[in-house]
Amino acid sequence: MPRPMRTKEPPPSDFLPLTPAVLHILLALVDGDQHGYAIAQTVEELTGGTVRMGPGTLYGSIGRMVANGLLEESSRGRGRVAEDERRRFYRMTALGRRVLESEMERLDRVVALARAKNVLRRPEPA
Amino acid sequence: MRPIERTFELVLRLYPRAFRDEFGDEMRAFVEARRAEQRHATPWGRVRLWCHLVADGVAGGIREHAAAWSATHARAGAPIVSPALLPETELPEALMVTLVQDARYAVRTLSRRPAFTIVSAVTLALGIGATAAIFGVVDALLFRPLRYPSPHQIVVVTMTRGTSVDDPTSYPDFVDWREQARSFQSVAVIRNQSVNLTGRESPERLSGAFVTASFFSLLGADPLAGRLFAHDETEIETARPVAVISEGAWRRLFGADAGIIGRTLVLNGNPLQVIGIVPSAFNFFAGTDVWMPITYYPNKNGLTRKDHSMTVIGRLRGDVTVTAAAAEMTAIAKRLAEQYPAENSGFGAHVETLHTLLVGDVRAPLYTVLAAVALLLIIACANVANLQLSHALARRREMSVRAALGAGRSRLARQLLTESVILAAIGGVLGVAVAYAAVAVLLKIIPIDLTFFSPISVDGRVLAFAAVVSITTGIVFGLAPALHASRASFREALAARAGSLAARVGRVELRGAFVVAQIALSAILLIGGGLLARSLMKLQGVDLGFDPSNLLTLEFRLPATKYAQPEQISDFFTRAIAEIRTVPGVNSAALVRAVPLSGNSDVRAYAASGAPEPEPGKAPIVQLNTVSPGYFRTVRLPLVAGRDVENQDNTEAPPVVVVNETLARREWPNRSAIGQQIRFIDTDRWLTIVGVARDAKHFRLADGPRPQAYIPYMQAPEIFTSVVVRTSGDPLKFGSLVRDAIWRVDRDQPVWRIRAMDSIVSSALGSKRVLLSLVAVFASVAVLLSGVGIYGVMSFAVTQRTHEVGVRMALGARGQEVLRLIVGQGLRLTAVALAIGLVASLGATRVLANQLFGVSPTDPVTFAVVPVLLAAVAAVACYLPARRASRLDPLVALRRE
Repeated sequence: MPRPMRTKEPPPSDFLPLTPAVLHILLALVDGDQHGYAIAQTVEELTGGTVRMGPGTLYGSIGRMVANGLLEESSRGRGRVAEDERRRFYRMTALGRRVLESEMERLDRVVALARAKNVLRRPEPA
Repeated sequence: MRPIERTFELVLRLYPRAFRDEFGDEMRAFVEARRAEQRHATPWGRVRLWCHLVADGVAGGIREHAAAWSATHARAGAPIVSPALLPETELPEALMVTLVQDARYAVRTLSRRPAFTIVSAVTLALGIGATAAIFGVVDALLFRPLRYPSPHQIVVVTMTRGTSVDDPTSYPDFVDWREQARSFQSVAVIRNQSVNLTGRESPERLSGAFVTASFFSLLGADPLAGRLFAHDETEIETARPVAVISEGAWRRLFGADAGIIGRTLVLNGNPLQVIGIVPSAFNFFAGTDVWMPITYYPNKNGLTRKDHSMTVIGRLRGDVTVTAAAAEMTAIAKRLAEQYPAENSGFGAHVETLHTLLVGDVRAPLYTVLAAVALLLIIACANVANLQLSHALARRREMSVRAALGAGRSRLARQLLTESVILAAIGGVLGVAVAYAAVAVLLKIIPIDLTFFSPISVDGRVLAFAAVVSITTGIVFGLAPALHASRASFREALAARAGSLAARVGRVELRGAFVVAQIALSAILLIGGGLLARSLMKLQGVDLGFDPSNLLTLEFRLPATKYAQPEQISDFFTRAIAEIRTVPGVNSAALVRAVPLSGNSDVRAYAASGAPEPEPGKAPIVQLNTVSPGYFRTVRLPLVAGRDVENQDNTEAPPVVVVNETLARREWPNRSAIGQQIRFIDTDRWLTIVGVARDAKHFRLADGPRPQAYIPYMQAPEIFTSVVVRTSGDPLKFGSLVRDAIWRVDRDQPVWRIRAMDSIVSSALGSKRVLLSLVAVFASVAVLLSGVGIYGVMSFAVTQRTHEVGVRMALGARGQEVLRLIVGQGLRLTAVALAIGLVASLGATRVLANQLFGVSPTDPVTFAVVPVLLAAVAAVACYLPARRASRLDPLVALRRE
């Protein structure tokens, strides 16, 4: 992947709104580093199987997220994992976390708006 | 690799290289893990997984290319990071949903228009099926390896002499090559010749081959039962009386009797013990029944250096190229020429792969047929595209409504494209059925020995090819109408009815373009077909020199053991001919060593009296045949001077010969050849010329005049011969009568290849005829499709112009004028198409040049007739709708619209 030279870290708002795949990948990595296939499995589990990512979507997204500094290759790098040397582990960067947080805030505002307009009927969980 | 992973490898190729290098391995691991996870899933679940992976993979590949493109085309200084650069508009799931929706909708639409669907699907099925079948043949013959282990290492070594590169070899040369050449793992010799099997109820003629033991090991044959030859068993000094039979012969002749191993068969009078059976899957030349050690090859002079009749095959060492082997063989041939100047001077050696040798003659015709069928497929696509366009008119409202309801242009285009692809898929499925039928027909008519090749069948590769062709054709014929319709419907939706005229004009233009393409392509096909037809007619009209009608031919051979003395042979022949002549309805009968055009032929180098002795290797070549008295009269080959060979030209009389006009003219241009002499270089007997016959075709119909000589049977009796019989009436009716006549002389004589000379002549036209009939079929279908195409376009145009016609007629135009107007429009299209087609044909037919005979690739007759024919078809196709228009009631016409 061509990696653009980053002189200054862009503000998280530049990335919003996130695509569903990027959002779910970030969510999956909140609890720790994972390799690609594990990310896909975690996303499936977290969403009760409604979001199912194929390799094209997953690695396309990962590629762009790495290029833009949202993810980085984890220090548990290539070769250290006995099960399959081809797998690399990914970790969310600080920027990635800030982007996720901004997206969550944005979604929160959207949900609040929806609730104010009575679009969302379900009560807020206690 | 599992199929799913293999498919994914293809999908991965869609990605930009950089992306593949970065993530390829991980994506493969992903797919493997997914598959492992799903290994207990139902078949349906696995299909869904497969679809999901492929759809996601393909979509991702396109996205990555788009991303890479935007990254390199982004303005300098522009932020590279932006949500727009994450062009992930649809998750694959969503993509799949719309695909399924589109497909469902398409199926509904297609089933609502059964006539359109059936016509389109059948058109495509013909195109796809024919293309797939021809691909199957081309694939098996040209692209796939021969059916032996490591076939690329198998070469054929031939001798060269002058311009000829495929002379057979002699056995002593083979032995020298075997000893001296380092390029080969092993070499083997094969001599095909029929053998007589006797000692059973009735004599049989078997297809035999005399070989060295290395023949089987080189080609990787394994016995079905028993064993194959050991090295010593086929060497001259240590040979043993053994034979190997084919599985086919074992079943046919011995009822698959397991006790055959160890039994003795009397072959050519020699008792040989059967030691093994070779499975049917192994065969070298089609239908060989029995293999015998080369030492049993019946040749009265023994296996001498002068007897050039052996085929030599070799298996190259792994690191040796054909060129290197050829260089070594040339050096060896040169040494042998110095060592044996009398026999070997002038001879070189030539090496080529068995595959090249086998397909050499068929490569060009095969590619011609493939090109012809591809043209047909394109014409079929254009036709279906035209049909689609007319239906786009019918669906104008539907499209407008959908556009107005918010369907994006790409969505509409994709909907139409989905329809086309589904239509093509239906065509593809039907096409596979067509391919099965076509392959069955092709197998019957292909005039080549298929033994060597991978079997020709509708296999996985052909099916895959058909699938790819179907999808591609779906996109090809669907794309233009889809884009056009979606664009037009937007305009129409926006501009209501006012703008529809422009859209319709555009559509007529587009359809016109399709028709032009169709007619132009048809012109190319027809001109190609026309040239081939003219060559075939020229070949059929070739002066054979003799009269093939009512001529029966049959072959037989005498067992050398029973007829060891020349006198015995002469005696048998004299009695047999006398007996045949007593058959009622037989006008005359004679013997000939090699029936013209039967493939048998003998050539010798000769010297002529009065000319200086030719240098070794430079002597002229003559086609030699051996005939009995009455041969010339029987085949009606006129003698222009002198006399026929006669009964008194026997071993006691001075040796005589009849030569043809070409030889006489060449050697004695201004004198009579009668009384002159010739001598075959390998003998020292001078033969006196007693007669001059007209030139006759012997080897091939396309052969030019060449020196020929006929010597009398009584002076050179051979055990191997043919009988020609001039009959009154259908010659084949006399087959069994003539055979019985021979059996009255010797009951142990197998007689085979009972054929009419007419059919020999037409089978000599074999491959040309097959090529022509295929191209002719394709060309006729092409003309039909083009006719339908232009008819469709003109009907469409007429419908569109109904209002205009009404106005014209209301203003006083007469039917005739309207007719002329519309036909004129169609013929203008045709004229443009023909101009393009003719120019393209000038280029295209040049590749045909080698397959033509007596016709130039720019033959004016063909180039004049084809346009007239196509113009006539086009005129009829235009006339029908035009007449309809000219009979319109102006009032009705004006009310339209």
